[in-house]
Amino acid sequence: MAFPSRARARSEVGFGSDRRPAGASRAARLEDAQKYLFVLPALVLFATFVLLPLASAVYYSFTVWDGLRTPEWVGWWNYVRAWNDSVHVRSYLNVGVYIAGTLVVEVAFGLLMAVLLASNRRGFGFMRGLFFSPMVLSMVAAGLLWTYVYDYRRGLLNEGLRAVGLGGWAHPWLSDGATAMLAVIVVSGWKYAGFYMIIFLAALRRIPQSLYEAAMLDGATPLQRFAHVTLPLLRETTIVAVLLCVTGGFAAFDLFFTMTNGGPFNATEIPTTWIVKQAFDRHNMGYGAALTVVMTVVVGVVSLAYLLATRRRHAVEY
Amino acid sequence: MSTSAALPRRRVPSLGTVLHYWVAATVVVGMAFPLVWMLYSGFKTNQEIAAAPLALPAVWRWSHFAEAWQLGNLGRLYLNSLLVTGVSVTALVMIASLAAYAFARLRFRGRDSLFYLLLIGLLLPAQVVIIPLFFLLRDLQLLNSYWALILPYTSWPLALTIYLLRSYYLTLERELEDAARIDGANLFQTYAFVMFPLVRPALATVVILNLVNLWNELLFAMLFIQSEQLRTLPAGLLAFSGYYLIDYRLVFAALSITTVPILVVYFAFQRHVIAGLTTGALD
Repeated sequence: MAFPSRARARSEVGFGSDRRPAGASRAARLEDAQKYLFVLPALVLFATFVLLPLASAVYYSFTVWDGLRTPEWVGWWNYVRAWNDSVHVRSYLNVGVYIAGTLVVEVAFGLLMAVLLASNRRGFGFMRGLFFSPMVLSMVAAGLLWTYVYDYRRGLLNEGLRAVGLGGWAHPWLSDGATAMLAVIVVSGWKYAGFYMIIFLAALRRIPQSLYEAAMLDGATPLQRFAHVTLPLLRETTIVAVLLCVTGGFAAFDLFFTMTNGGPFNATEIPTTWIVKQAFDRHNMGYGAALTVVMTVVVGVVSLAYLLATRRRHAVEY
Repeated sequence: MSTSAALPRRRVPSLGTVLHYWVAATVVVGMAFPLVWMLYSGFKTNQEIAAAPLALPAVWRWSHFAEAWQLGNLGRLYLNSLLVTGVSVTALVMIASLAAYAFARLRFRGRDSLFYLLLIGLLLPAQVVIIPLFFLLRDLQLLNSYWALILPYTSWPLALTIYLLRSYYLTLERELEDAARIDGANLFQTYAFVMFPLVRPALATVVILNLVNLWNELLFAMLFIQSEQLRTLPAGLLAFSGYYLIDYRLVFAALSITTVPILVVYFAFQRHVIAGLTTGALD
């Protein structure tokens, strides 16, 4: 046999293989039982507060329920309703725009800043720390602060524009449907670009310096070095960063809830804000549950498709 | 008069270096400025803010902070947040480490299936279960108590925390473990006195990751707690800003009170915090 069988591999490692001679001692059997005690607390909590609610969500999604009376089974009705709910459909377009925007202001900008701040000179460590600092703040604090930054009359942004003679550009950023989404995206970038900067920085540091030296000997300009040495070697990191940004985008809620709560006129309505409104403002628990199931499926399918697509390209490349 | 001759010779920075500093500093300072603006605006009166939003305060009125602290019951919010996140993170890390060790090192029937089941939790956004979780907590009569947050906060990050700790346990040498066994230590003794101490660096990382995430959590906090006395900081801050929406100075003061201590702690432990928050994305 070329490879040791699994059972054999098991009996070789450490202690406590699950195959015991027929007359296994009581102590050994007791120890086998003890092993389950290690995972028991975690599994009980996980089953009660993650898996059970997940299963209930699927059940509720087939019912009409106001949270008080008995849920009434209605089959696929909630899903049909979700399909025909124009705000719900729009919330996915909105979150798509949001994700596309965050890919620019979080991932691309984070990469740019990683290159810009990747220096051992004095002061750069401090600048990296400062750039990362919004990451430790709550979304509520970030959202509130920026609500005041965007304030039409007293906000930092408009007042700054007026101060440099661009008063004509002053704008009610959050209450105009045309700019509200952009305004939220910018805050997202402010909060998270530091995270991606650190991730890309770690990847940059793994690139051997000799590659840059070779490129310089060949007369490559800094821009060429970036395009032909740095970028290709950051591929794996970029794949992970994009996945984190996309799945994180679907889960966005706090910033929208704090700054616009979906307004004005649903211009920044995203699936999560719409779900919370349906369930906790309008008491459509069954419909809300159906929307959460839709969201789970969408996030799952998008992540899976993305992983498969990046893997396939990977396979073609090599 | 030439003083430069007396100074030790220093390389004159090239134009590129100066430009590099200038561009980097401009972006970073520009991004940090909203926080600075928040900080000094809290000292201004509302009239000052209306008249000149960018100007520094004429008088530094510390009393605004005392006022915000009292009106917002911010001390209580801090205590609630400390209690809820403290208990949750401690329980979470203890429970997760125990399970992570077993998934990494012990052999038992169903181990791999159970681990894969747990990994489902890595993919799920928490919003997916808010509705059933709300009613589960209601039926357990836990809504509006610390437990309404502690139990979900301990359970939801389990998947990621176990996943991260397990990969760390997998890297540890087996010799120590085997030696302890030969010396007659039972499973729990081996874990508690040999393996758990070895995993401390990874523990610090997951503690920080979960501390920051749970400290800042909003959705569960605002849905499962209605009582003002039990609210955590994010939910309380949001409610405060709703009451005092146009009392700019108070909102700025409350924002400063709730963010500055966090930023101070961050800058004190910067290296560890950054490592903690980016763990998992860096492997």
